[in-house]
Amino acid sequence: MLRTFATRFRVGSAAVKPSDRAAAQKALGELGLAELRRTSPPAATVQECALLAEEHGRQPLTTSLLGTVLLAPELLRLLGEDAPPDQGTTPTIALARDLRFPGLRSSGLVAWDCEGADSALCVAPDGTVTAVEPGPPAPSADLLRALRSVPPGSPSRTVGRLDAATHQRWQAYALVIVSSELVGAARSFVQQSVEYASERRQYGREIGSFQAVQHLLADATVLVEACTSATRYAAWCLDNEPPARALTAARVAKAEVNGSVLEAVQTGMQVFGGIAQTWEHVAHLYLRKVLLGATTLATTTDLLTILAEPEAEAA
Amino acid sequence: MTSDTPLDFGDPADLDQLRRRFRAWLADHPLPERRPDEPVPVFLHRWHRLLHSGGWVGLDVPQEYGGQGLSALHQVAISDELGACRAPGVPRIGYLAHALLEFGSEEQRRRLLPRMLAGDDVWCQGFSEPGAGSDLAGMTTSADRHEGQDGQADYYTVRGQKLWTSYAQYSGLCLLLARTDRSGPPHRSISAFILPLDREGVTVRPLRAANGDDEFCELFLDDVRIEASERIGAEGDGWPLAMTTVSYERNALDTGHLSKYGLLVERLRHAARDRRGELPDGLLGEIGRCFVDYEVLLAHARRRTAERLAGKEAGPESSIDKLLMTRTEQRLYETALKVFPEELFAEGGEVFGDYLYSRAASVYGGTSQIQRNIIAKRVLRLPSGG
Repeated sequence: MLRTFATRFRVGSAAVKPSDRAAAQKALGELGLAELRRTSPPAATVQECALLAEEHGRQPLTTSLLGTVLLAPELLRLLGEDAPPDQGTTPTIALARDLRFPGLRSSGLVAWDCEGADSALCVAPDGTVTAVEPGPPAPSADLLRALRSVPPGSPSRTVGRLDAATHQRWQAYALVIVSSELVGAARSFVQQSVEYASERRQYGREIGSFQAVQHLLADATVLVEACTSATRYAAWCLDNEPPARALTAARVAKAEVNGSVLEAVQTGMQVFGGIAQTWEHVAHLYLRKVLLGATTLATTTDLLTILAEPEAEAA
Repeated sequence: MTSDTPLDFGDPADLDQLRRRFRAWLADHPLPERRPDEPVPVFLHRWHRLLHSGGWVGLDVPQEYGGQGLSALHQVAISDELGACRAPGVPRIGYLAHALLEFGSEEQRRRLLPRMLAGDDVWCQGFSEPGAGSDLAGMTTSADRHEGQDGQADYYTVRGQKLWTSYAQYSGLCLLLARTDRSGPPHRSISAFILPLDREGVTVRPLRAANGDDEFCELFLDDVRIEASERIGAEGDGWPLAMTTVSYERNALDTGHLSKYGLLVERLRHAARDRRGELPDGLLGEIGRCFVDYEVLLAHARRRTAERLAGKEAGPESSIDKLLMTRTEQRLYETALKVFPEELFAEGGEVFGDYLYSRAASVYGGTSQIQRNIIAKRVLRLPSGG
């Protein structure tokens, strides 16, 4: 279902009209996926949601599957009885201005992946969840993902609070879903570059028959497979393991994904050669997505610093 | 290549119970001490027999061949438990067992597998040659067929030389590859044999490796007679058998390396915590990276096992696994030497020895370059060179 949707609404190049964005988001809404994680118990496992996110990443799409369909509804579900009735609003999530998890000293927020959203949920480091109102559109290098700034002092309202374990679960879930979409993007782009290398001819033969090109694509494949294993395992952990273990697995996955999807996409671009350097080609849409994706929620440095030391013993 | 259906990464339900039973057994069976002058393989062999006496070897081999009929995950759980108490791992015979399981005759399986698992027969692997390392198809060791009166193969005369045969000097049997057809295409002219190493014409010569160990050997074969009944499978089955064997050899789960990596990664992370503020930030990041590598390899191995349990055969994707294992091992030991620099100034430092061994990871079992060729040609199906 999502695959058919994606084929219909994928964008062919960087020039996307706002009306097309709105139409795609409306069509996504009509698929009714937002209920997947809204009910208790949820209708879909985390592993299934992660596979959806992977699929969404495969095509250049402007739709907010992550923010409004997979992430915000799960956050409301985790809040349980604290959560206000939906009242016909469509929330996404709010992140720090550099797209990391919101920090202690909030120097400004953005409503992330906010196509079709009318509010954004912010999870503070202490687990307090507030709803904020998105302001004007904010520019970013990722031309597909819509962001809106949240001006300082704009109205916010506390909607509830996550306890420590639920907060871990939330962070793990968000890391897994964001990672999954990036894995889908990298896998798809590497596949496209493999197909291109099998057709494009130079020096009288397909460029994919040159060992130098083959080794580039083999290395990119290893990276994509490593990301896939790590991300799917982390998703499985969320369905089956305690939150602390799931959070470690999710951090591992995001740390692997941050570096590897970027390298894989850059490798694919190298194989495409000159054509991938143009505005019209989809390559830069993938590159922009994974470049920003690698800093979203947690950077490699953030994660490696945490993971360098053993997990604190449970008190 | 990748399924988009959910996989079960979980442990089999009976795994916890198995672990508990194993821990109880370990408590009753203290680890043997290595005697001062005892060579490592001899010590490991004593350990192998002790483990087998408790029923802890070949858990993933069917019961009729002396195993327990469980899964690879069960064997890995035993490895993990051993790693956790710093005991030597399980004997590395999984890939040999799989070669016999898939290609041996029923008689060979029933006769040889139980003895292999019990440690009654110690096996080595005679694949590589001086002129055929990664390019295994280029082997020149020949097995000339002598026919009986019925026109069937009676026996073979084998001539040639093998190299990198691990611990041949302590082994009784060798899984040998030789060319039974000198003119045919390499992939259909290689056959596999069971060679007793005490047979006339066999000379074993150990080779000293860069880390000082004498694990690797040369094997000289001068007109060695091998019976037709000692052939595994049909003539020409040697190539697919070798491919199956190396596929298993390239999977971290099957080689038992994972537990060893896991122990060292935890040592590094404890050093990071205990020496907080002392270690430079960059090194902290490297330690974090080692943990990520290890956890990713573990997740990857679990994914492969889940796929295997779902009925997928080990294939050319194992080259991906080998490259991931190599990345993990080489980065891990490079980092370990930075965290424990005293290893460079001690005699016989264990981490330093393992570091030297890790340099071979991108060479043995097919170099990293060959693995990339395999991925390009057989996984990605890229066109071949003109």
